[in-house]
Amino acid sequence: METTKTLNSSVLDVRNISVSFGGVKPVQDVSFTIKENSFTSVIGPNGAGKTSLFNLLSGMNKVSSGEIIFMGEAIHSIHAHKIAQKGLVRTFQGAKVIRRLTVAENLMMAVKGNPGDNLLGFFNPRARKSFEVKAREEAMRRLDQVGLTKFADEYAGILSGGQRKLLDLSRALMADPKMLLLDEPFAGVNPTLVEKLLTVLAALRKEQSITFLLIEHDLETVMNISDRVIVMADGKIIADGLPKSIYENDLVIDAYLGSRRKDS
Amino acid sequence: MEAFIQPGFWIFVLALAGIYGIFSLGLQIQYGVGGIMNFGHVGMMAVSGYTIAVLVIKYEWSFWWAALAGVILAAFLGALLGLTTLRLSGDYFAIASIAFAEIVRYWILNTDNVTGGTQGTLAIPSPNGFASYTDKPDVILTWISDRLYPIIGDEASRDLSMVLIVWPFFGLFIWLSSRLQKTSWARVLRATREDDDVPRSLGKNVFRFRLQTLIIGSVFGGLAGVFWSVQFALLAPEDFLRIVTFYGWMILILAGATRVKGLFVAAIFFGFLYGATRFLEFWPLSLLSSPERAYLRVFLIGLVIVLLMVKRPQGLFGKRQEMILE
Ligand SMILES: Nc1ncnc2c1ncn2[C@@H]1O[C@H](COP(=O)(O)OP(=O)(O)O)[C@@H](O)[C@H]1O
Ligand SMILES: [Mg+2]
Repeated sequence: METTKTLNSSVLDVRNISVSFGGVKPVQDVSFTIKENSFTSVIGPNGAGKTSLFNLLSGMNKVSSGEIIFMGEAIHSIHAHKIAQKGLVRTFQGAKVIRRLTVAENLMMAVKGNPGDNLLGFFNPRARKSFEVKAREEAMRRLDQVGLTKFADEYAGILSGGQRKLLDLSRALMADPKMLLLDEPFAGVNPTLVEKLLTVLAALRKEQSITFLLIEHDLETVMNISDRVIVMADGKIIADGLPKSIYENDLVIDAYLGSRRKDS
Repeated sequence: MEAFIQPGFWIFVLALAGIYGIFSLGLQIQYGVGGIMNFGHVGMMAVSGYTIAVLVIKYEWSFWWAALAGVILAAFLGALLGLTTLRLSGDYFAIASIAFAEIVRYWILNTDNVTGGTQGTLAIPSPNGFASYTDKPDVILTWISDRLYPIIGDEASRDLSMVLIVWPFFGLFIWLSSRLQKTSWARVLRATREDDDVPRSLGKNVFRFRLQTLIIGSVFGGLAGVFWSVQFALLAPEDFLRIVTFYGWMILILAGATRVKGLFVAAIFFGFLYGATRFLEFWPLSLLSSPERAYLRVFLIGLVIVLLMVKRPQGLFGKRQEMILE
């Protein structure tokens, strides 16, 4: 009952989740609510538990305790692929590409509802082929967006680290997400392209009403695009608020930003 | 040495190579597309072959229904193997699959009253006392042989008729499998070969894809069992030793695991190696006893494969670039 009430305002409702691996507790009693079509950044030093948090949200690891509600539905105990099908899609820190598929194939495999993904689809070649044509068109559009068009038919294994990030991001978009979890999408990408990507993300938010939760190491990069910043350290949330308030928060300065601000 | 130039022997080898080729099609889709290392594939062929023999001899089924049952049972056992062990990581699955094939063989060995045990299918108890199961396919083989008579002007051997059946089917199966490998289903499967997390994060049920692949491969193993059972007309447990699975792997490695069409030539190449190494009886090898030469033969086949792997790790037909991508 409670979940249906919050449905209108929130897409994701994280309630007191924790995970432990033996003695290690990467995420401890974390709670937050994400509003529809918002843009939230998670920042924090290395080892703070940000990626571990994403692993829980995407179902790749299971919570030891707590609940995760996505669009009114408890998802903390269902399979990762089912969570993705519901529209909660993630990318990976360091970007994972399928090296022995071409760049275009990497994207095309992500499209939802492909009749050819089903073995029975083998007996319906016409439906399969027309879907493939559309998938390819969409893939080419996405590649154009991130400037990878000329690599479309090369193995993804030849891409550089930065290019793999772009591919990873484009691939997640191909899966028709309601909400995207991006794990450090800008690390290792050159500043001009970061600017361009930020524009792309802002446009996606506006045009496709995607909700964003993004991990970033550097607060400055996401200052302008975020309407909220969550700061993690040692598996816990230590600050949560408007970007500006985070920038001035003493706790955050101590835990994380102190040295950086002195530099600049 | 005389047999070396005898066409009859090579025709037999060709028929056998085609059957091994069909057998290796199962490994190809499992490993070459899905990255699943199955070292128990021979179990599927054994199950299907024995199902046919038992159903026809003991229960007097028609060969064709028995063949269908054999392939279905092989597929079913593939599903069972997958459901119990496919969630294990690659290496552990490989070990479990060897154990699976051994269980099948031991079961056949020790269920005398059904399978004939050590004595093979000749000892299967039959209501009419007639332990043969190939009457239906033999009609077809004879028919082919009769048509060939005016062409080759001689009695065509059973092996030649088998070649003319096995190889077109092998071609058809390759074509079907290569069609399947062009679908988006196969694309997802190829992704699972490298990484579980990416397809999972995109909503693909990795386990389902793997299980389906294991079953399809088992169907090819079962089909090979149908042809095998006709070719030899009697079966024994020692026909289905682990080495048979490795012969299938050799063909696959020769072809290049991702190249399904390469299996056609690789099977012939394997047949030549397999046949030619039988004739290693000249000096100084003639000093060895015949069981020792049998070992030498397996050793030599292995050696050729190793050399090939060093020179062409992608197989005869694979793309080298695929092997070196990081
Ligand atoms: N599966 C796991 N088993 C054990 N420890 C883990 C596991 N996953 C993460 N950790 C630990 O959790 C801590 C947080 O890591 P991570 O979430 O990657 O941090 P961040 O992404 O903020 O840099 C690290 O100390 C890491 O070693
Ligand atoms: Mg991280």
